[in-house]
Amino acid sequence: MLRYIARRLIIMIPELFIITFIVFTIMYAAPGDFLDQYRLDPSVSQEFLDHLSKQYGLDKPMITQYFLWLKQVLKGDFGYSFYYRRPVTGLIGERVLATLILSLYSFVISWIVGIILGVVSALKKYTFWDKFLTVIAFSGIAVPGFFLALLLLYFAAKTGWFPVAGMYDVNHGRMSVWQGFKDIFWHLQLPAFTLSFGAFAGLMRYMRGTLLDVLNEDYVEFARAKGMPERVVIYKHAVRNAINPLVTMFGYSLSGLLGGAVITETIFSWPGLGRLVYQAFIQQDIYVVMASIVISVIMLIAGNLVGDILLAAVDPRIRLE
Amino acid sequence: MKKLAVMLLALIVVFAFAAPKLPWIGADANGKAGGQFVVGTLSGPKTVNDIVAKETSSTDVIDMFMGYGGTLIERHGVDMEFYPAVAESWEGPRLTADGGMEVIWHLRKGIKFSDGQPLTADDVVFTLNEIYTNPDIPSSMQDVLKSTNGYLPKAEKIDDYTVRMYYPEPFRLAFRYLGGMYIFPKHIAEKYVKEGNFEEFWTVDAINNGEIVGLGPYIPVEYVPDQYVRFTKNPYYYKKDANGNQLPYFDEVVFKIISNQDAMRLAFENKEIDVYAPRGTEYAELKEKEKDLNIVVTTAGPAYGTAFITFNWNTPDPVKRKWFRNDYFRKAVAYAIDKNSIIDTLYNGLGIPQWSPVSMNSPYYNEDVVVKYEFDLDMARAMLELGGFTWDENGQLVDEDGNPVKFLLTTNAGNRVREGIANIISDALKQLGMEVTFSPIDFNTLVQKLLNTGDWEAVIIGLTGGDEPQSGANVWKVEAGLHFWNYSPKVAEYVDANDYYLPDWELEIDSIFKENVRILDENIVKDYFARFQQLVSEHLPLIYTVNTLRLYAYDASLRNVKIGPLGGTWWNVYEEWKEQ
Repeated sequence: MLRYIARRLIIMIPELFIITFIVFTIMYAAPGDFLDQYRLDPSVSQEFLDHLSKQYGLDKPMITQYFLWLKQVLKGDFGYSFYYRRPVTGLIGERVLATLILSLYSFVISWIVGIILGVVSALKKYTFWDKFLTVIAFSGIAVPGFFLALLLLYFAAKTGWFPVAGMYDVNHGRMSVWQGFKDIFWHLQLPAFTLSFGAFAGLMRYMRGTLLDVLNEDYVEFARAKGMPERVVIYKHAVRNAINPLVTMFGYSLSGLLGGAVITETIFSWPGLGRLVYQAFIQQDIYVVMASIVISVIMLIAGNLVGDILLAAVDPRIRLE
Repeated sequence: MKKLAVMLLALIVVFAFAAPKLPWIGADANGKAGGQFVVGTLSGPKTVNDIVAKETSSTDVIDMFMGYGGTLIERHGVDMEFYPAVAESWEGPRLTADGGMEVIWHLRKGIKFSDGQPLTADDVVFTLNEIYTNPDIPSSMQDVLKSTNGYLPKAEKIDDYTVRMYYPEPFRLAFRYLGGMYIFPKHIAEKYVKEGNFEEFWTVDAINNGEIVGLGPYIPVEYVPDQYVRFTKNPYYYKKDANGNQLPYFDEVVFKIISNQDAMRLAFENKEIDVYAPRGTEYAELKEKEKDLNIVVTTAGPAYGTAFITFNWNTPDPVKRKWFRNDYFRKAVAYAIDKNSIIDTLYNGLGIPQWSPVSMNSPYYNEDVVVKYEFDLDMARAMLELGGFTWDENGQLVDEDGNPVKFLLTTNAGNRVREGIANIISDALKQLGMEVTFSPIDFNTLVQKLLNTGDWEAVIIGLTGGDEPQSGANVWKVEAGLHFWNYSPKVAEYVDANDYYLPDWELEIDSIFKENVRILDENIVKDYFARFQQLVSEHLPLIYTVNTLRLYAYDASLRNVKIGPLGGTWWNVYEEWKEQ
């Protein structure tokens, strides 16, 4: 098992190398660079732009730039953000937590709600509740996230039940720990609802489908025929077998935790990584983009690894060697 | 008796002109202290070091602790006059015997930085000599401070409260730029200058570390990334109100960062922020809710920025170059711009036609000299005929050599107003028989085309403006970096030196921009810029379209809001307060 994990982690190194190189090339090939946003400003002179270009190393050929970056990264330094003039690590560090709070919270909710409702929906097949949940699920899949987010914002502004935007109240700094926690928790609800609504619907439909398939299998019939209680048949045998494909998905969706909420973060002014990286892409703030790519790749690989390990744990047919 | 009368009259005249001016802006204020002022902003500061800062999200924060009275002189947002601030008086700007110019500043005594350290002449001298003019610390401020022949100013200390600033040649803008310069605390900044890492001085981390020190009314003390910046009162701010109470009135100012314009507006309606700049589409609706929401919704004069259409005189196709360089062709286009329709459909009626390269808010703006081209397609056709164009049997416009007139019009994709202007203009041009293909492109690509490759034909774009026309020197001088419609072959490689076309009036504009800064007499400068506006409106290198009005909304309990040409609802934040 440990050897398997080690091998997977070692493969990550060439993967990271190739992916970052490709991204760097694409960023370089895209027209313009970070300084373009200043070029149409009459108050900025060419000499100043040349100075910045030299300072940022933008005047060097692409290959040189890439290897300079790589050398820095190997030393644990992800470079400076052009825009913020600060080390990229600090910049990303202060936003990771906000993104994690939002995405983990909605991740947990959507998985719990999705699986439970999926099971309910499958067991009550074709009844009113199944149809009702199906309608909810389809609207969750169909309603675009940004639209739902704007609707919720409007709702918050009209009722005053929730704060309109942000993660903290402007007086957060003076609150006690408990008040501070409540403050964040309150701000968290609407963006988390936006994120969960789309996600749980898909999971629920998926759970419903696989469970229905399993319920039609012979061994379920056999277990019932044996006189096993229905509860045991369903929860011990059917659900457990139906959940395998979801475990793979679980690992995969872990990778989206840090970057999957750009639109929601922007609409709700949530101070997360998604917004930072999106802005960096638009402005060609290349080292911020590169650092985020490294994080995404690591998350993707780690997520898949976790998925594989979990799958081995729930499915005795799978051996990791 | 007669003598006495003359003397009396002379005295009256003297007194009339020497009307007592405020010792500082806000000295006549009358308000109540306390409370919190919350401003919404679209993004947070990237840095709080003025040398590094490039965008308003950062400079707005810097202004709070270095500006708003923290500079030598301060400009009034309504009467646009300069008032004493940190300098209680000054001599000059005046010419010196050696052909240079000088300003002598007398600093107010007893002013302290927010950490309690006294401000002296040393801080001012240090700021100019070792920061803003230091060759090792390049900044865009250096370009601004450079006089015609590239001289930078020098400061010298006369005594602890007197500083002389000197240029080797007359430079008109020196007064406003030197007077408006932010003053760095020497006791804190000097270390960074000496160690050569000034660009890392005062990153946003410095806010939470409590390292920010300034002369302005509010000091940033807490920054939560992408959430808010909180400022507290500078306990040593020097301004006092009419009753001798220390300003500013608000205990705290908060910049609440709301990255989405819709959320911003909802937050304003929800009373989470106190001021809001409505979009044109929202104005009427907010105005209607004025009473219900207890807000004030108002318009002020035109904004400073510009939007114009221009043609590439050095476009790769020599046939097209000839049209674009033809004055009559450009005049025809000017007549084909239906500004009223642009105002009605794109600005919801909240715009004003623009005719001059100088902002309408500027004291140099001169409406009497500019040629106005009211929408008139018949005049446009007449201009085309004068320019040697004719129409073929299908109504297609052709030039003297029989080439059909067709070109590509572009703008940066995603700018709804510019795209709308492009559609309105190209519809009219189609009626004139031109074949216009409109294709918006990505901003970075557009910048590359305009400034580097020259691979464009016509573009609709805007530039930031200001009340000082000289700030456009980088656009108007013949060899300037933003002279993109007709780059000099010395600036842009793609321009063929043998085919370079430089009309006399371009040279005249060039000399206006080189000469006016040497003149200290404002009236003569006004004549220079009048001529400039006349030339541009006659020859139309850039064809101006429409300027948007500035729109403001603020909480009705906010007092001392003074809206003027300088812009903003809180240029005088130190004297604003809230009725509880």
